[in-house]
Amino acid sequence: MLSKLADRLAHLPREARDTLFLLVVIAWVVTMQLGHIPVWCATLAFSILLWRTVLTWRGAPLPGWIPRLALLALTLAATWMTHSTILGRDAGVTLIVVLLALKTLEMRARRDAFVIFFLAFFTLLTHFFYSQSLLTAIGILLALLGLLTALVNAHMPVGRPPLSRSAGIAVRMAALGLPVMLVLFLLFPRMAPLWGVPGEDPRGRSGLSEEMRVGEIAELVLNDDIAFRIRFDGEVPPQGAMYFRGPVLGDFDGVRWRPQRSGFPPGMALPVDLQLQGNPVSYEVTLEPQRRPWLFLLEAASQSPDLPELQPRMTRDLQWLTQRPINELLRYRAQSHVSFRYGPREPVLGLQDYLELPPGFNPRTLALAQEIRREHGAGPDAAPAAVAAVIDRLRTGGYVYTLEPGVFGQHAADEFWFDRREGFCEHMASSFVILMRAMDIPARVVTGYQGGEINAVDGYWVVRQRDAHAWAEVWLRGQGWVRVDPTAAVAQWRIGSLDRLRPPPGALAGLVGAFDPTLLAQMRAAWEAVNNRWNQWVLNYTQGRQLDLLQRLGWSSPTWTDLLYALLAVVVLASLGGAAWQLWERQQHDPWLRLLDRARRQLLRHGLPDAGQLPPRALAERAQRHFGDGTFSRAMTQWLLRLESWRYGRDPAEPLATLREEFKRLPWPSKEHR
Amino acid sequence: MSSSSAPAARGAADPSIQLPWLRARVRRWIHSRQPRTDTLLLTQRNVYILPTGPGLMLALTLMLLLVASINYQLNLGYLLTFLLAGSALVGMHRCHGNLRGLTLHLNPPAPVHVGQAVSLEVRLSNPGRQTRHGIAMALDGSATGAPAWTDVPAQGDATLQLAWPAPRRGRQSLPTLRAQTLFPLGTFRVWSLWRPSSDVLVYPAVERHPPPLPAGEATPGHGGSAHAHSSGEFDGVRAYRRGDPLRTVVWRKAAQSFATGRDELVSRDLLVSQRQQLWLDHARCGAPDLESRLSRLCAWVLLADRLGLDYGLRLPGVDIAPDQGPAHRTRCLEAMALC
Repeated sequence: MLSKLADRLAHLPREARDTLFLLVVIAWVVTMQLGHIPVWCATLAFSILLWRTVLTWRGAPLPGWIPRLALLALTLAATWMTHSTILGRDAGVTLIVVLLALKTLEMRARRDAFVIFFLAFFTLLTHFFYSQSLLTAIGILLALLGLLTALVNAHMPVGRPPLSRSAGIAVRMAALGLPVMLVLFLLFPRMAPLWGVPGEDPRGRSGLSEEMRVGEIAELVLNDDIAFRIRFDGEVPPQGAMYFRGPVLGDFDGVRWRPQRSGFPPGMALPVDLQLQGNPVSYEVTLEPQRRPWLFLLEAASQSPDLPELQPRMTRDLQWLTQRPINELLRYRAQSHVSFRYGPREPVLGLQDYLELPPGFNPRTLALAQEIRREHGAGPDAAPAAVAAVIDRLRTGGYVYTLEPGVFGQHAADEFWFDRREGFCEHMASSFVILMRAMDIPARVVTGYQGGEINAVDGYWVVRQRDAHAWAEVWLRGQGWVRVDPTAAVAQWRIGSLDRLRPPPGALAGLVGAFDPTLLAQMRAAWEAVNNRWNQWVLNYTQGRQLDLLQRLGWSSPTWTDLLYALLAVVVLASLGGAAWQLWERQQHDPWLRLLDRARRQLLRHGLPDAGQLPPRALAERAQRHFGDGTFSRAMTQWLLRLESWRYGRDPAEPLATLREEFKRLPWPSKEHR
Repeated sequence: MSSSSAPAARGAADPSIQLPWLRARVRRWIHSRQPRTDTLLLTQRNVYILPTGPGLMLALTLMLLLVASINYQLNLGYLLTFLLAGSALVGMHRCHGNLRGLTLHLNPPAPVHVGQAVSLEVRLSNPGRQTRHGIAMALDGSATGAPAWTDVPAQGDATLQLAWPAPRRGRQSLPTLRAQTLFPLGTFRVWSLWRPSSDVLVYPAVERHPPPLPAGEATPGHGGSAHAHSSGEFDGVRAYRRGDPLRTVVWRKAAQSFATGRDELVSRDLLVSQRQQLWLDHARCGAPDLESRLSRLCAWVLLADRLGLDYGLRLPGVDIAPDQGPAHRTRCLEAMALC
């Protein structure tokens, strides 16, 4: 059955074979869009492609314009219903995929084929809206080569050349085009978007959010995506000290934690008063796109990262913000001090914001607070002892860290402290801060990332979304804001150890893992290292890095116009190189033609009227007529005839070098005789 | 310059020029710049290149891809755009290289009659190491003939036949030929023009149903009585009779009869042939004007030649004494072509 199919395939008419190949390429282009397009769109596109395949296979005629128009109208209507517009990015992607499939039903003339190629190129580009990973790039490269192969094949009109030949030519063309691509990619000036800003993806991405609700970070913990990578210049600080600060949440309404909106006038805002201690840690962060204006830095950074375009600034909560959401891979250098002090040292009015609790929530926690206060005393000076007592309770009270704490009710802190006694960082931080506030100790929740792990392959420190964390800060007199991580008290391994609760692996990973657990880890590390290279060198190639490149090439203070000059210089150099090669090639030209040309020129010098591009025999006749019958004329004629038979004779008897030698010894008439 | 005047009215050489007379003039000027040669090496100097419609479309696509990459800040989009651009650039070079270095050689065409097509046999030699795919040859500026396509193998030859309807009688220079290729991407059109230096002799048209051959004329010196003996039809042969000298045997006829199985020999009737000579005379052939006379004479020459007769030809200003054989026939036909 299969061999019969292969036989049929091998004997298809050339045109049918070419069409089938193009259909396969287009099917691949559409396949890569799966996941980004609505299900109806994918179904419709594949049905049309399948229909076209059947028509080609049977050699049946293509449908008329009525079914095509009906399908187009159907598509427009369905697009409208899905996206409630037919403009815009997602609607555009949906439309272009169906149009590409529909156009195959109209593949008659050469022009139609070209329209398909160009539609396919656009479809390929739209893929990058959703993913720019290495795998995507490989898939796109395959599709591009497929399209080029089909194009090359369409321009071999003679016979039935095998597709492998077209593919070879296409691959060679792409390979030769690589240097062009590289130069343009390196030197083409990166500029800001020409109009508009790319709209934020409404589907949202996993990552920290601006507010915290119980249960939300649990999803993040399960997310293995990489949040950012760090390369430390020198020593890597201890893992337990690696806190990367995100939004600070001080406003609690009983359910949600949100950034503090102070009721006090700006003049009474808390001073930052950052005091750094110890040696700085230098590092470079490569931040994955997160669509938030947050920069993640090791606590605490005093200097702004070198990102002039984004104008980063530090809030009074020590969080670093940028001018606009970060929608692309971003790299920056920074310096941090792991030990530091900040915030007001003496009580100020602004701290009142961090004592507020909504009435009617967590009565038992409030009672617990009173109990602890009774035991350790009230007032600011008793605060450290109260904090220590709560930490001690967490450590010894049978509290458990879990990824599946279940759904908490209205009195979440009560449930945590008394009933369930389990939860993850979010529950612990939230419950801890509520308890602190109930004891009149200013406290707040800080979200961000904690920890990470080193990739043994390339030495990058990798922080994933599952490293998202929430901890607490309490204000202590004379010390300012002090970080307290209740999770660390419950589960020491969560902070500062590589062992984690991991979500169960997928089927394939489970299989490999069962075979050899370290192999899986190694494979993953290697793949992520490759991906990191990709990110570092391709996706994060920004104007800043372009200018760095120029600086390394010798420009002292490059601007983007220098990029254009550099590009121009490369073009000029390449043209000169091309011209030189051309010249060399002309030198290398067919030696026979060169010899003939030499004879022609020599004859011209000896008075034979311009013979144009006569072949040897005709040249011989003309020479005989011109020079009359003589030794030279006879020798010349004989030489020319031998030259002719060298080229056109059945088997050239003598090497061309002999002819060249004899040409020099021809008895040329002396010029005075003319 | 007969080649340039013929296609003046038809054809579409340069689509950018709309006026037909201007187009014809431009083409004539371009053609006149080509040296006439039978062997043409295509080099940088005589190979031209321009983008095609799809080529411009590709340029537009690249622009759009670039704008999309800039606007959405897609570094991978830049990569795709530039890789496509690089490939197209290589494609352009490859397209030009597909013709560059090729040698075109025209085998001198055989003479034809008016109304027949001259068969132009072009040999394309490829000294390079790569097969040259999809090379087309056509008559330049002619909308009629579809181009002939071929692949030229590496370090090998390919031969193409082009048909050129001979416009009129006489020695005609060959039309300008065009070698063209779109390979590999179809985004560029690379072409070269070539004026072969050979010319072709175009004989008069052959009259379809000519009247019978004219009566023979008396050989000078035999008196006027020959006309009386004429049977109206020229009859210079008879069956072989024993004793006929071998040189009077018409061997061509003999061969024909052997071939058909009849063992008959035919001898030339010496009496008749001595007495009468077949003269094909333009003044006496009974046609009104020169061309139709030549057509008739041409038909007669071919007929007489087929019959293996001696015949002479009288044209204005040219007399060709009676004789026979291929050389004689060619001489007669050439005389008529150039008359």
